[in-house]
Amino acid sequence: MNASKLLVVAAAMSMSATAFAAGAHGGGHGASSGEPGKASEAGRTITVEMYDNYYEPETIEVKPGETVRFVVENKGNLVHEFNIGTPAMHENHQKEMKMMVEHGVIQGGKLNKQMMDMDMGNGHSMKHDDPNSVLLEPGQSQELVWKFTGKGSIEFACNVPGHYQAGMYGDVNFK
Amino acid sequence: MKTRLLTGFLSLLMPALVLAGEYDLTVDRVNIDTGDFVKEGIGYNGKSPGPVMRFKEGENVKINVTNNLDEMTSIHWHGLILPFDQDGVPGISYPGIKPGETFTYEFPIQQAGTYWFHSHSGFQEPDGAFGAIVIEPEGREPFRYDRDYVVQLTDKHPHSGDRIMRNLKMMPDYYNREQQTVGEFFSDAAENGLMNTLQDRMAWGDMRMMKADVEDVQGFTGMINGMGPDQNWTGLFEPGERIRLRFINSSAMTYFDVRIPGLDMTVVQADGNNVQPVNVDEFRIGVAETYDVIVRPKDAQAYTIFAESMGRSGYARATLAPEEGMEAAVPQLREPARLTMADMGAMHGMDHGSMDMSGAQDMSEMDHSTMQGMDHSGMDQGSMTMSEKGPSDPFYAKGSGIVPTAANGGKFLSYADLKAQDPLYEDREPTREIELSLTGNMERYTWSINGVKYEDADPIRLQYGERVRFKFVNTTMMTHPMHLHGMWSILDAGAGEWNPVKHTISVAPGTTVYMETEVDAPGQWAFHCHLSYHAAAGMFRKVIVEGGPDATQSKAAVATEEGGDA
Repeated sequence: MNASKLLVVAAAMSMSATAFAAGAHGGGHGASSGEPGKASEAGRTITVEMYDNYYEPETIEVKPGETVRFVVENKGNLVHEFNIGTPAMHENHQKEMKMMVEHGVIQGGKLNKQMMDMDMGNGHSMKHDDPNSVLLEPGQSQELVWKFTGKGSIEFACNVPGHYQAGMYGDVNFK
Repeated sequence: MKTRLLTGFLSLLMPALVLAGEYDLTVDRVNIDTGDFVKEGIGYNGKSPGPVMRFKEGENVKINVTNNLDEMTSIHWHGLILPFDQDGVPGISYPGIKPGETFTYEFPIQQAGTYWFHSHSGFQEPDGAFGAIVIEPEGREPFRYDRDYVVQLTDKHPHSGDRIMRNLKMMPDYYNREQQTVGEFFSDAAENGLMNTLQDRMAWGDMRMMKADVEDVQGFTGMINGMGPDQNWTGLFEPGERIRLRFINSSAMTYFDVRIPGLDMTVVQADGNNVQPVNVDEFRIGVAETYDVIVRPKDAQAYTIFAESMGRSGYARATLAPEEGMEAAVPQLREPARLTMADMGAMHGMDHGSMDMSGAQDMSEMDHSTMQGMDHSGMDQGSMTMSEKGPSDPFYAKGSGIVPTAANGGKFLSYADLKAQDPLYEDREPTREIELSLTGNMERYTWSINGVKYEDADPIRLQYGERVRFKFVNTTMMTHPMHLHGMWSILDAGAGEWNPVKHTISVAPGTTVYMETEVDAPGQWAFHCHLSYHAAAGMFRKVIVEGGPDATQSKAAVATEEGGDA
């Protein structure tokens, strides 16, 4: 539990630019999925369970401007991600996730934490610390607070190679 | 096809609702039109391929099969787990179905996924007697799609199965159009030196094989869902939809390399069992295998499903399109692959006792360094993405001439990529190992296991409850899709507890492949190479499972009494 709390803090602080940069390249629908939210502003909690390879629920409804506290639980036997983004952002992120698999960071049901922290040069690492995403081993759970700023084509998705393509995504519908 | 659902009265009395479906199939003489030629064949319910049988996991099925032929027939439910006397192999499961008779199969559906069914009598299957099976799971699928299509491949030949077998027996290279010519000899000699080329040819001659034996029956028209390349079977979609394509290779003899230019494919199932999704550009489907892939065409355009035969002697073609009548470009066939000396690799250091191996000595004296230079002779250099050492795949011999590469330079599926989505069996140490050498003499068109053909062989006896590790050693120059009936084949893909579960294991030339089987199905079963003419020539065994629930033992005795051909 301590570890996951730390991760949340780290995630909230790091504010890595990659998610937003990717969105800008993606184009279409303004290409913004929102921004990290403050827990104090979250009006409600949505629990998202991750199985092999699908989510429950597969659609969520939000209001523009709403902040939601997600509790993400990995109930499967494989590593899964919960990532909020536009389809274009997911497509870009899939390349990074492919690299993580090729480097042995993600191995079926295990995450190689040591390798995630490794310095890959030029300030890069495979930490996977973008604030719009959590990456969990089987049995783990973690919180993510997200503010949905505007309407747009937003999905939550698992970008572990093959999972999104096989249908591990859910729709964010704006009311 | 589905005549009635018998869910009424009885199920009301039972705590759990048991679904029971009754189905009718007739076995008929039919005409098969490939677009290149029309010929008489055998089909089901008046057509070849027969209908797609759609079952539901947990359902008890009753299938009435009426034989309208003037010869014996049978139906084998390929990949289904069922009591052995419902497995449909004449002489092993039952005597078969006589002309004019109706046989009623009854068994519970205990699995989900894509499978197929076919005759196990004579050469009825190459003559067209096959169809598809789609089983919907009890729970949800571990993936999503908006629509699904069966994509059933075959290699329709203008000659009947009987005639092909006769010709092969008389002249094993009868259908081999890719033999090397005198001209090629001189061009090889110019490139590799006269002595090396001579030694190469002599070695191949001694092996009783011809260098171009990637496919021993050429001259077919590739078909998808009963339609030839020009007839162009078309599956419709709305842009943005996910489509599940259920590829089934019902060919008599032909492996296909399948791609859909412009679309990524995500493989989600192999042989009916879900695998962890793998994104690929192309995959090779062995005879009798199935692969389910999910594609997502985003644009309102046509896409070609292109299936080139492994030896590049033919292809099947179909289309995915938003509307009927749309087509996309059809790629050219790539250059034929040629076997290399590496494809003989496993012959070194093996027990040669059972084989005609008079040439082995000469081979070991050869200068192996020259082989490196030869490896690429038949390969499409343009399609190669790897270094000059050539592409590699742990399921092909090192330096093999038939290692597949993706036409677009991207990812080609390997057995090593297959990992079970949800392992069916707990991983445990096998209780024993059985070595099976896949053997043959191409010059006489004999195919066998451990050098002994079916009619001369003792059955393989397994004990109920054991876990057997089978070691396939392919000593021939051909790829053999080995199919064990009744029990799953757990392919050793190096993934331990995640090893995938299949019903057909392809063994490439010069390789050793392991599979494990939990012996959990009493009775007697067929175990054979699924290339029709190899099985018929003797690469076939009966497997007897001893022990287990008592009742089945006496049934086995009855089934064998009547005999018949497998």
